[in-house]
Amino acid sequence: MLSRVANTIYWLGRYMERTNGMLQVILTQYISSQDDINDFTWEPLLKIYGELSEEEINQIKGSSPKALEYMIFNTENSASAYNNIIYSRENARGIQDHISKEVWQCLNDFYHFIRDSNRIKVENLADPVSAIDQLIRNGVLFTGTVDNTMIRGEGFTFINIGKFLERAIHTADTTRIKMNEFFKDNADAFHSMNLRYLLNSLFGFEVYLKTYKGNFTKKNVLDLVLYNPNFPHSILYSIERLYKYFCRLRPESLPENYEHMEFLIGKTMNNVKYSIANENDSKSLDSFLFQTRFDLFEISNAFNKYYFGNS
Amino acid sequence: MNTNSLLESYLVPPNIWDEMFTNEGIRDSYKNFVSAIADLPPAEMTHKAEMAKKLFMSQGITFTVYSSGEGIEKIFPFDIIPRIITGKEWTLIEAGLKQRLKALNIFLKDIYHKQFILHDGIMPSHFIYSCPNFLREMMNVDVPFDIYTHVSGVDLIRDHDGKFYVLEDNLRTPSGVSYMLENRSITFRIFPDLLPKNNVRSVKEYPDLLYKNLLALGNRQRSNPTVILLSPGIYNSAYFEHTTLARLMGIELVEGRDLIVNNNFVYMKTTKGLQQVDVIYRRVDDDFIDPLVFRPDSILGVSGLYWAYRKGNVAIVNAMGNGVADDKAIYTYVPDMIRYYLNEEPILKNIPTYRLADEDSKQYVFENIRNMVVKRTNESGGYGMLMGNTASDEEIEDFKNAINADPRNFIAQHIISLSSTPCYINGILQPRRVDLRPFAIYGPEGINIVPGGLTRVALKEGSMIVNSSQGGGSKDTWVLV
Repeated sequence: MLSRVANTIYWLGRYMERTNGMLQVILTQYISSQDDINDFTWEPLLKIYGELSEEEINQIKGSSPKALEYMIFNTENSASAYNNIIYSRENARGIQDHISKEVWQCLNDFYHFIRDSNRIKVENLADPVSAIDQLIRNGVLFTGTVDNTMIRGEGFTFINIGKFLERAIHTADTTRIKMNEFFKDNADAFHSMNLRYLLNSLFGFEVYLKTYKGNFTKKNVLDLVLYNPNFPHSILYSIERLYKYFCRLRPESLPENYEHMEFLIGKTMNNVKYSIANENDSKSLDSFLFQTRFDLFEISNAFNKYYFGNS
Repeated sequence: MNTNSLLESYLVPPNIWDEMFTNEGIRDSYKNFVSAIADLPPAEMTHKAEMAKKLFMSQGITFTVYSSGEGIEKIFPFDIIPRIITGKEWTLIEAGLKQRLKALNIFLKDIYHKQFILHDGIMPSHFIYSCPNFLREMMNVDVPFDIYTHVSGVDLIRDHDGKFYVLEDNLRTPSGVSYMLENRSITFRIFPDLLPKNNVRSVKEYPDLLYKNLLALGNRQRSNPTVILLSPGIYNSAYFEHTTLARLMGIELVEGRDLIVNNNFVYMKTTKGLQQVDVIYRRVDDDFIDPLVFRPDSILGVSGLYWAYRKGNVAIVNAMGNGVADDKAIYTYVPDMIRYYLNEEPILKNIPTYRLADEDSKQYVFENIRNMVVKRTNESGGYGMLMGNTASDEEIEDFKNAINADPRNFIAQHIISLSSTPCYINGILQPRRVDLRPFAIYGPEGINIVPGGLTRVALKEGSMIVNSSQGGGSKDTWVLV
């Protein structure tokens, strides 16, 4: 496969995963904002999913419709969901011969859907939950279409490598932010909404209830989002899948490049697998999550160098 | 004779060949189709037109116009009423095109080698050397199997007498074939069963034929040659076509930055290192294909590609330098080429054309300019032309000045009344002018022309410019058995 094509398809996977992840976080945050009787602010998310100055953030941080419009639909905001979809489609356009026609049409439909911004903006003002749900459904449809229609070749492998790498980074980031808020609140685990929002943001609330039967503890929450090998958004699950897909590249790789990458991914996977996150020590937890994030970016850079020819 | 309101409202334009109607009624070739749509309520026809538009959009059969940083998706307008050509007419077109392309191919071989046609005085040499698309770099380059025009699209029109004429030859990187394929795939969705019931010949073998011919060119290099399609990238207006063809042929779609030349061999950069390339179906113009030989500012091509080609290490389709054969001034000599190289009379006639480098012709054209269309010889896409009947005095004056300054650069033709065909516009059938671009593939085993082509239609009322860049659209083209 051409290096450029591999790079493009890998980023297609990353953009789509990023969109799904951010939409779920925004949705959870919106629902939590309606629970919150205190002054609710969109500031933390506006900083992550935007490029506004402090002053501009102050102007919209208290208004859900404005904040949602900016993070989801704004065409000027390069980190908006809208632009993620535009980038994804541009990427897909450049490699149409490496994805199935169904995947292309699915993404193209998503693109036209999100571009029909007037309709969505009206829905957003009327019922933001439905509007975001529709976007998430489009993202899930994309994932399913990839799974059902793409040949298990290099293209499928790279799209999944991008997806799981992005997912691991997203889980590490979201966990870090929410755990810091949790420690700042100084609330006990059972009453802390932050832990519940963390689970919701990672599509894990129901899984948690089924797994731990409502027994709400920090340790259990961290076990689920960091180590659970069956929870599709845990860091360990994501890295293990990343490793599994990477191994498929062996016959298509130069041996020295393959060995280097395998070492990096294996090291990161084992660092997570054989770690014990200390749920009572905010500093060590934060440093563990930060280190994991750093290792994941190292993997991304190494792909860039050894597989995409961008050394 | 027509009881249906859809047909009753149609006014056959006077002194113009209408593809569907004669003064006596519907042509035989259209009768089946008309009887199938005659009973459809207007709402259903409108629904079909809307559905076709949506299908183009949802399948991404679009081109992107980039303005103020944001891409706007546009579809190449499609009219749902097909244009029908009888088997007998097609036999003539096919024979005429094969003859013409054979002669043009020999001309290219000749002009880049011994130049017998110049020595024998059939064509003045200054016409060749003043042509900007004549590439001196191609002199004495031996191309695989002596084939230059591997893929060509010849534009045909039909005059009021019903005869087909050649409007122009496109021998460089003709586009539109993907629309021929997609138009057909939309038609069978919006008009179920009509294609088999009308005995319409299939066009879907085009990608297979093209791939077979590309592979055959690579046989010189290896038994299992690597064939690729070289595209300028996603910002090119024909990018959809490039991806469609690459996908249908199952070959790699590459850009210039994916290729590298080492020791006069061409390689593509893959995740597994460099992989040698044997055949390049390029959709990048000559000027941009190798910055070391042609335009140095090009980032669409590959440095060193020309020498790899010249040494025979890679086959390039179409050959470089074909522009000299589809230049509009050289076009006037094609009938002479056919007689000279093949000793045959041209089956398809040229439109009578005046070369303005000739003083008498120029005088005649200036006197009759209101009945003429004047074209620049090296432009296409409907640009650089003057329609005498609609131009202002000022525009005519500007053109006359330009002609006097460089007469070699212009030709003139009497305004031909392109044939009309019904189009479904605003809920009724309205006559619009059409041309036809069949696509031919020239390989080591001969010339293949898929039965069909791209019918381009001038959607503006009264317009005769069918180019997509000038408000044109397209139709599915049916060739009957």
